[in-house]
Amino acid sequence: MARVFVVDDEPDMVDLLATILRSDGFEVDTDTDGRSALARLLADPPDLVLLDLMMPDLDGMELLKLLRLDSKGANVPVLVVSARSGHQDQLGTLQLGANAYICKPFSPRELVRQVRQLLETSEAETNA
Amino acid sequence: MTRRRVLLQTRIARHIAFAVVVSLVLSALVLVVFRHQAVRRVMERSARTFTSLISLPLTERFGFLGSGGKGLLDQYIVQLQELNDDVERLEIVDVRGNVFLRAEGNNVILFGDGIEPPIVTDRELLRAISGLEATAVQVTEADGSDAYRVVAPVVKQWGEHVYSVVGTFTYANVDRQLRSSLWLSALILAAGLGLTHWVSVTLAGGITRDVDVLRAGVMRIQEGRLEERVSIDSGDEIEELADAFNLMADELVATIRQLREANRELETLDQTKADLVANVSHELKTPLTALRGYLELMAEGGLGSISEESIRAVMVCRKNVERLSLRVEELVQLSRLDRFTSLDSAREEIDLKSILDGIIDTFRPRMEGGGVHFVLQVQPELRTLEVNPEQIERVFLNLLDNAVKFTPTGGTVLVLAEACDHEQRQGVLIRIQDSGVGIPPTELIRIFDRFYQVDPSSRRRFGGMGLGLSLVRSIVEAHRGAVWAESEEGTGSTFFVWLPFGDFGRDGVNHGGPSVRLEEADGDSKAVREA
Repeated sequence: MARVFVVDDEPDMVDLLATILRSDGFEVDTDTDGRSALARLLADPPDLVLLDLMMPDLDGMELLKLLRLDSKGANVPVLVVSARSGHQDQLGTLQLGANAYICKPFSPRELVRQVRQLLETSEAETNA
Repeated sequence: MTRRRVLLQTRIARHIAFAVVVSLVLSALVLVVFRHQAVRRVMERSARTFTSLISLPLTERFGFLGSGGKGLLDQYIVQLQELNDDVERLEIVDVRGNVFLRAEGNNVILFGDGIEPPIVTDRELLRAISGLEATAVQVTEADGSDAYRVVAPVVKQWGEHVYSVVGTFTYANVDRQLRSSLWLSALILAAGLGLTHWVSVTLAGGITRDVDVLRAGVMRIQEGRLEERVSIDSGDEIEELADAFNLMADELVATIRQLREANRELETLDQTKADLVANVSHELKTPLTALRGYLELMAEGGLGSISEESIRAVMVCRKNVERLSLRVEELVQLSRLDRFTSLDSAREEIDLKSILDGIIDTFRPRMEGGGVHFVLQVQPELRTLEVNPEQIERVFLNLLDNAVKFTPTGGTVLVLAEACDHEQRQGVLIRIQDSGVGIPPTELIRIFDRFYQVDPSSRRRFGGMGLGLSLVRSIVEAHRGAVWAESEEGTGSTFFVWLPFGDFGRDGVNHGGPSVRLEEADGDSKAVREA
């Protein structure tokens, strides 16, 4: 079963995301702090990362940048979860190396659809 | 500017020249009239003195004629005449009027010795000759010229008055002198005129030079070089004017600085406001996401089965969360538009038809469900628009949402798009027409205002914070377009969106294609909003 890593400073959000994904059969790891999350991600890369952008200390953008700099994290698919819905914000995140973008507030179904789609694409790339 | 400056200098020069010319002409007149008289008086006095002085010696010589002979007399008379430049003729006449001697220059004629002496017939002259006192009178000569005649009776001793000497003097010399001085003064006058011209132009230039300096200073300020000042040290009103001008420039600079500071503060405030809205929306969206997520999981049984009543309650919660989410998104859109940032950075060339098709597809299920007929007509081969697609989509989304919302079952929503000129600019006009309740004319002008809703009760019925149309207006105006509405109560409303073709930074570029004039509707029920 695919392993998804959820990074969000909001415990309720982490809880929700984990609940949604677990109920759909995913294995879920979580972290509410950017720095420790980065360390864990690089130590044991998951199949997919759900990343919140606005976090204290190390925010989502910085984390994404650092993740992509490391060879272990360079190819992990990242789905960004953000409250910012602007065209420019989305574009910026994708340029930094995110694979997809989902705006708050989203529906669980939409989230699961996006996660599955990303995993399929990533699997196809790995096999190819 | 230049024309004015020349005028000022010429005007001053003209005044100076006028004053000088008048004084010169006056002095010339004085010379001619008074000097002429005075010079003649001098000549006349010398003529009288001369005649009186020579009368006695001359007649004595004439009496001694026998002893000296005519040659000596002639020589004597010629010498006498040389003493006075003006003497023309000397005559010796007896009291009865017989002329005995007449001398004109070298020509000395003696009468009596065989030559019949001419006789004076002039009564006045006869009286003068026979008198005992010397007399003088101005006469006119046979050739018409003026002459001065002096009669000096020779009285040797009491009662012995035989001869008188008559001297005739010409004014010719005096007049010639006067004429030459007249010429001289005319020459001086002419030279004076030239000099006056030069002096007056120079003087006027001196006065206007300071004005020029001042003008140059004003021009510099006009060009935006606000730090420059005018330096004039003339000690007169122009210096005062320059000082006043400098003060004004100081004030101007101070005011501009204040304005800039105020503007900077406003910009900071605006940025703070935008940041605040962004943060608030983030703070609102995260809890909304949690709410929405759990509610949806509950509704779909993802968290275990719950009772029918609970499911209905969850559905109500979900609906309200959706509404909250929509309002938050509207607020975010509006705050972003206020900053005009997203507009400039995200322009794309779009095909209007594909945008309208896309939006209408999303509405189709809702319209069909509500029994609303729908018609879309887009003029074929319409040019592309250069716009922010996200925002323009939002415009039609909001307008169509309104149209569908207010159109009752069985009604029609009509969307028409065609090329159309607006205020000499080419663009496209899109009409969105519904057959709803309509908008009262008094309300029509205000519907585009922020937070305004026609009927407070509609807020409850149809939802929304009144941001929809104000957002539409903000977006269209940011694209240099115009939006307005016409409505008839009970019949329906029509919203008009006009957008310029191509780059909205460059207007009026003709790319051909058919176009129609914008029809003016009756002003009462029409609200126009333009950029």
